[in-house]
Amino acid sequence: MNQQLNRYLLAVEQACSAETLVAATLDLVKISPHLPLNSIEQQAAINCLITLLATNNPGAAGIAVGGLIACKTAAVQPILNNLDEHNYGARAWAVRALAQIGDPRGLAVLQRAIEQDIGPSVRCAAAMGLGRIKLAELSPEEKLETMEICLAGLKLGCADGEWIVRYAAVVGLENFGITSSSSFAQASFLLLQARSQEGIEEVPVVRLRAAQALIAFN
Amino acid sequence: MLRQMDNKISSGEPINEVEALQRLQQQDDPSQRCYAAWWLGRMRSQHPEVIPLLLKALEIKPTATEAAIAVARSAARCLGKLHAKTALASLIQALIHPDHGLREAAARSLGEIGDSKAIKPLMERLLLPGADEPVGNGLHLGEPCEALLEAIGQICITNKFETNQDFQKSLERFQHHNRPVVASAACRALLQINGNSKWAERIVALLKDSQLLVRRAALLDLAACGWRPAAEQIATCQVENSLKLYALRGLLEESPDNPGPVQLGEREKQLLALMDQLL
Repeated sequence: MNQQLNRYLLAVEQACSAETLVAATLDLVKISPHLPLNSIEQQAAINCLITLLATNNPGAAGIAVGGLIACKTAAVQPILNNLDEHNYGARAWAVRALAQIGDPRGLAVLQRAIEQDIGPSVRCAAAMGLGRIKLAELSPEEKLETMEICLAGLKLGCADGEWIVRYAAVVGLENFGITSSSSFAQASFLLLQARSQEGIEEVPVVRLRAAQALIAFN
Repeated sequence: MLRQMDNKISSGEPINEVEALQRLQQQDDPSQRCYAAWWLGRMRSQHPEVIPLLLKALEIKPTATEAAIAVARSAARCLGKLHAKTALASLIQALIHPDHGLREAAARSLGEIGDSKAIKPLMERLLLPGADEPVGNGLHLGEPCEALLEAIGQICITNKFETNQDFQKSLERFQHHNRPVVASAACRALLQINGNSKWAERIVALLKDSQLLVRRAALLDLAACGWRPAAEQIATCQVENSLKLYALRGLLEESPDNPGPVQLGEREKQLLALMDQLL
């Protein structure tokens, strides 16, 4: 196995302070995306990054999420295999990573997060992620089903009690409206139009972002 | 009845306005009164009975029990959230209560209400001898200086209040305070009052402080001023993304450059792009 990788994995394992753990995580994140795709080495690095999500060190966890996102689709299945029902923090980070990667396999996790996660920042990540699911490689049936789930989630996000989730849903809808087929684009347009209106949306910055998204539509 | 309430809270069930009013009105359980006041403020309740009940909770003697003080603090905060103009006199009165926490809550709420009649009493507390020196176990200063400074700045900007040199000199005294959050609050008030970028630069420098609490305070101070030149530094500051998003929202909505509803110009697009990256 790659000597450098071994050293980095060991450094993470043996880190004895918050600072050394952050430094070791940074090293690991730097090489992870450049390891041979789907190799044992990359899987080992990804698994190590996933365990870092569950450590009680937000600095290291935030950096590890960045590493997982950089590994793109290679990180998706390991993240899904390791979802920890009992560790809220780790789950929240996993939602963020899946939202950024945009792989359709992460859809169910994002859907559940927007529907029932108690953390606004997690619902926020999910809303943004629902607008970024990559549809290109799906069959027509899968595509339709995925778009329905995305739209339903984004609609929920638009009605969320927290402005930041509504903001993220607007950003998600902008993306979703551009990449999805016509009837979904039309539905996105209507949701955005509602968010841009003062009588419906009370927060100026959300209305402003919705207005910007509407310009992108036209 | 009380047991039922406890069950509801522990299971996180939402309460409604009527129930919150009942909880605020009852005298048996102070913690329920605190919770009710918090809830009514968060929900921006418009119910006509709310403010009279809160004012009653705020009227406490200097010798009141800890529990009564806790209710009064909660009531003071709620009155600020509700922008209760009729609470002005009571909140000013609360500024002289012996309890530091109550004075702090009252100061913050006076800032939120934004009536210029509060400036004088706020300033009087700020300029008391020993106001900015640690007391007791060193946790607090003699007066809640950070809250007093922020309230003064907020009221001045809300009312476009004309200040003179002496007034600003009084605030400048705090710019080198050894507690960075107090210094930042002074710079924030001065920036709101005279728009001089030197005050903004002082706050921006604190975004790189080694303490998370100081970075957070500096971020919120820049947000309150709507100081847009700091947007990029805010976006890269080492604090939670949720706080950065809140701060960038402040820059978009509170900018002194363009009062009135925010319009989509070039700078606004840049600020929105910074926000998008933080989601």
